[in-house]
Amino acid sequence: GVRQAQWLTKTKLVEGLPPAVLSIVNDPAHQLEGFEERVKHAISHARFWDTTEAAPRREHYCPVLFEDLIHVCRLMSAKYPSLTKRMLARNYRIAATWERESILLQVRGLNGVLMNSMTPIPPVASKEEVLATEKHVLETFYPISPTIDLQEVNVYKELNHTGFRDGYPYSHPHTLFFLESANIRPNRFRPEQLRAKMLMFAFGNALAKAKVLYGNDPKVLEQPVVVQSVGTDGQLFQFMVFQLNTTDLVSNDGIKNLVWIDSDQNLYEKAQCIPEIKKRVVTKPAGIYGFQPDTFKKFLALYLHGTV
Amino acid sequence: KPPSGSAPFLDVAGLRSLVCDVLLQETFYQSKGRPFLYRDHDHTFGPFLTQLVPALTAFLCGHNPLLASSALDLKPEVNYYWHHGEEVVVHGHRKGRVDPVRFQIDDKPHLQIRVPKQLPEIVPLESDLGEVPVIDHKPSKLPLFKKQYENRVFIGSKVADPCCYGHTQFHLFPDKLKRQRFIKANLEDQIEVVYRANGIASLFAWTAAQAMYQGFWSEADVTRPFVSQAVVTDGKYFAFFCYQLNTLALTVETVRNNPRKNICWGTESKPLYDVVEDGSVKGLNDEVLFHLVSFLLNRPKEL
Repeated sequence: GVRQAQWLTKTKLVEGLPPAVLSIVNDPAHQLEGFEERVKHAISHARFWDTTEAAPRREHYCPVLFEDLIHVCRLMSAKYPSLTKRMLARNYRIAATWERESILLQVRGLNGVLMNSMTPIPPVASKEEVLATEKHVLETFYPISPTIDLQEVNVYKELNHTGFRDGYPYSHPHTLFFLESANIRPNRFRPEQLRAKMLMFAFGNALAKAKVLYGNDPKVLEQPVVVQSVGTDGQLFQFMVFQLNTTDLVSNDGIKNLVWIDSDQNLYEKAQCIPEIKKRVVTKPAGIYGFQPDTFKKFLALYLHGTV
Repeated sequence: KPPSGSAPFLDVAGLRSLVCDVLLQETFYQSKGRPFLYRDHDHTFGPFLTQLVPALTAFLCGHNPLLASSALDLKPEVNYYWHHGEEVVVHGHRKGRVDPVRFQIDDKPHLQIRVPKQLPEIVPLESDLGEVPVIDHKPSKLPLFKKQYENRVFIGSKVADPCCYGHTQFHLFPDKLKRQRFIKANLEDQIEVVYRANGIASLFAWTAAQAMYQGFWSEADVTRPFVSQAVVTDGKYFAFFCYQLNTLALTVETVRNNPRKNICWGTESKPLYDVVEDGSVKGLNDEVLFHLVSFLLNRPKEL
């Protein structure tokens, strides 16, 4: 789970979202007018209306919900023109390698949908917080080896590649989106594992970008690299902001990286496609129950982070 | 061509750089492997279109308030079912009886934009538009109408959706209909036909399904025209179509006294750019770009 990912990426965990993002959430100037209506329409569209069958499957509604939410966020670029300096990239491959206490680890392959931007996100933690992580001790799980459940592979090339060629104008990874859209429950990641996956891939992206910017030598970064991550299964959302402070990952001491996680945010409690009828009386009409606008506000805040 | 509203100030240079960026990302910068089975359209042009339309929509939503309340569908289904003409049942236990000919279109545009308000009409409802050519063969001779399975009418989302009118559809050609194939087989004059056929069929199905969602059918004909637009492309060449549905009454009884006709306007296919090499787009065609932008900026007069 997340604890193992923390050890592998030499990261300190902070619960909740960082203050910079929370300030965007709470700032009424950044709200979209009537956004509750639009988000409810987006959920209804994804969960009820988008198919000729009675109820769409998760494989269908999870990506549709994601597209609709991104569409609503993108329409904010009428207010903030610098939002057009973003580009989504689907089906891109990442490769990053690093050493942790004489174990060579790597993150590779297709992961999720990445949103790139022309400008990097400013560091979320102050310098003091970064220096304070030096005293933090990483949790170990003796006698379990930290690389348990990881796939052992013979690596011939130690590759570090952001997935895009040089000269790409949108060169800074901004947010990674993970959609757990398998129909059957065992094929989907549980929330804890989803958070661990988000952490590993956010770290991989940040590391690849840092190596491109600052070279391959392990060192403490002057300008930390920040990558955000959102994971969802169509209903439950996990939000994460990762800040890479150092590429010196071999030893267990020194400055650590930081991650802020806001987990298990429900966008809505239940989406009833067909009304529940007991003994010829409609007990629960069709519709969305338990809509929580705060979850979308956080989604929007993560989207706007870096431009406002 | 339909007139488009005049935008206050359009950042043309920004538009050009946006289109170039999207194109370069999909063709050059993002390191993808080789296309699977040389299927370029899924590998490059599909993602290019999927990125271009939302990016342009976001760029232009300040100029067109209709886009700000639009809904974007990726690979939706559009279905329409109707009757037209008569035939005699050939074999089976109903042999000899006269049946209406059933048509069903099942379409899967690559992208579509749906809006909550209807686009304005282009010509008045009752105008006289000319004759429609009559074809004597049975429609099942064409590959589109061979067998009719389920009767479905669908615009891309169910009736409860507030965005129930169509704005623009984007169609991507499969690899089978690549231009090189036509040129190799000496069928160059057929290239435009494919674009036109796709435009007319898809737009008829979409506008008629929208009308049916509003409660009109062949016995209760439409009281206002339904207008939608479409862009048909194979990734490089773009053809633009817009369609006005004036009548749904196509069954044998209703078509006798029906003077109204539906009409589709379209352009020829033109390339958006000449070639992409070394990280830059050469020969970006402004005419095609402005056409695309004016399509997206189309909106009812009161907005």
